[in-house]
Amino acid sequence: MAVTEKYTEEELVLQLQNRSQQAFSYLYDNYAGALNGVIVRLVDDAALAEDVLQEAFLKIWNNFSSYDASKGRLFTWMVNITRNLTIDTLRSKGYKKQQKISADENSVSNYTDGTGKDKFDALGIKNQLVNLKPEQRSIIDMAYFGGFTQEEISKQTGVPLGTVKTRMRTAILELRKLIT
Amino acid sequence: MNVQEIISSGLLELYAADIATDAERQQVEIWRQQYPEVAAELSAIELGLENYATANAVPPAANVKDKLFAQINTAAAPVVNINTQPAKVVAFNGWKWAAAASIALLIGSAFFNYSLYNKVENATAKLTEAEQQLNVAKLEADAMKNDIEVVKQGLQVSLKGQPQMPDAKAKIYWMTGNGDVMVDASNLPDAPAGKQYQFWAIVDGVPVEGGLIITNDKGKKFRMQKMKSFGRAEAFAISLEKEGGNPTPTEVVSVGAVTKI
Repeated sequence: MAVTEKYTEEELVLQLQNRSQQAFSYLYDNYAGALNGVIVRLVDDAALAEDVLQEAFLKIWNNFSSYDASKGRLFTWMVNITRNLTIDTLRSKGYKKQQKISADENSVSNYTDGTGKDKFDALGIKNQLVNLKPEQRSIIDMAYFGGFTQEEISKQTGVPLGTVKTRMRTAILELRKLIT
Repeated sequence: MNVQEIISSGLLELYAADIATDAERQQVEIWRQQYPEVAAELSAIELGLENYATANAVPPAANVKDKLFAQINTAAAPVVNINTQPAKVVAFNGWKWAAAASIALLIGSAFFNYSLYNKVENATAKLTEAEQQLNVAKLEADAMKNDIEVVKQGLQVSLKGQPQMPDAKAKIYWMTGNGDVMVDASNLPDAPAGKQYQFWAIVDGVPVEGGLIITNDKGKKFRMQKMKSFGRAEAFAISLEKEGGNPTPTEVVSVGAVTKI
């Protein structure tokens, strides 16, 4: 999401580089939900998910000097930190990637919370996402939320490596259209 | 690949989703720096994914933010990983330092004790030495006091060297009270090898043996020494005799008459 309310992304980055806790508070208010979305997609345990979120923001704060705006958007950097931390935490606790993110396209599209209800809807996911084809959503979820490698995605979905690339591209093109 | 081919390759999407291989990542980073269109496209892709994440946002638990800010405002604010590795390291270092400190203290204390012990030993030795010196001085003082008494109370008779040995001088202190005779032999030359001084009292014109005089014992000069006691005598004499002495004097070297009291 674009930072429009109070800071431009450049201003926010500058403030954070100057260790402004006010800017950090703003960062949290605007990004914690999106980052938490990544975490809870992988972590079942609510308390553990909270710990991971807190830890992710602590890492962001402590390592902010290593963020390089010329190498990508701020959120991209933050979501990579969060995703890697989440996966590392689960791994250290003996979880397997597959536990929550299914490799099966259909099961991802019918992602449920165990009550048969679509978890996306349960979480209030925007209806705009309906335009995303199930196989597109599957591939994005596996990559963006699951931290799967291309090869793993290819193996799990039975889709050739080259197709993973093109499918990824069309899925993201769709995302770029959907929300602004 | 031209810019359009790069954009449509799907590699930028893999890169943005953080699932590019290392080789692909390096390639994309070069392209991004090389072509502004690639950079713009990447930015748009990232924004698309960002929007997807926002659409899937899940509001965090209310207390997480407070805990987070409490944590970053803690003085030490260490990076506490969930596996608590840094905390362990910090704790371990603490023990290490504590152990090192106590070992240093122990060594310091041992050294201090050792040096104290040495000082006490030194002091004790010095005290013993001082006591011995004091005893020696006391003995010397007693002897000197004795000599002074002799000089004060005794009748002094000066013996003069005879022509064959003019420097054979000695002083006799004759205690009038008890008849003790003391010889101060310090002015007598050392007796020649194989010879010894012998003391005589002349009583009624006859020399009476009064004992051997020791002038030098292992390099130490003898001062006052007690001879035999005489009730009466006209004169005193010292002769040189063979070692062990003779019953009668053979070579008188020093003579002094007793002056009338």
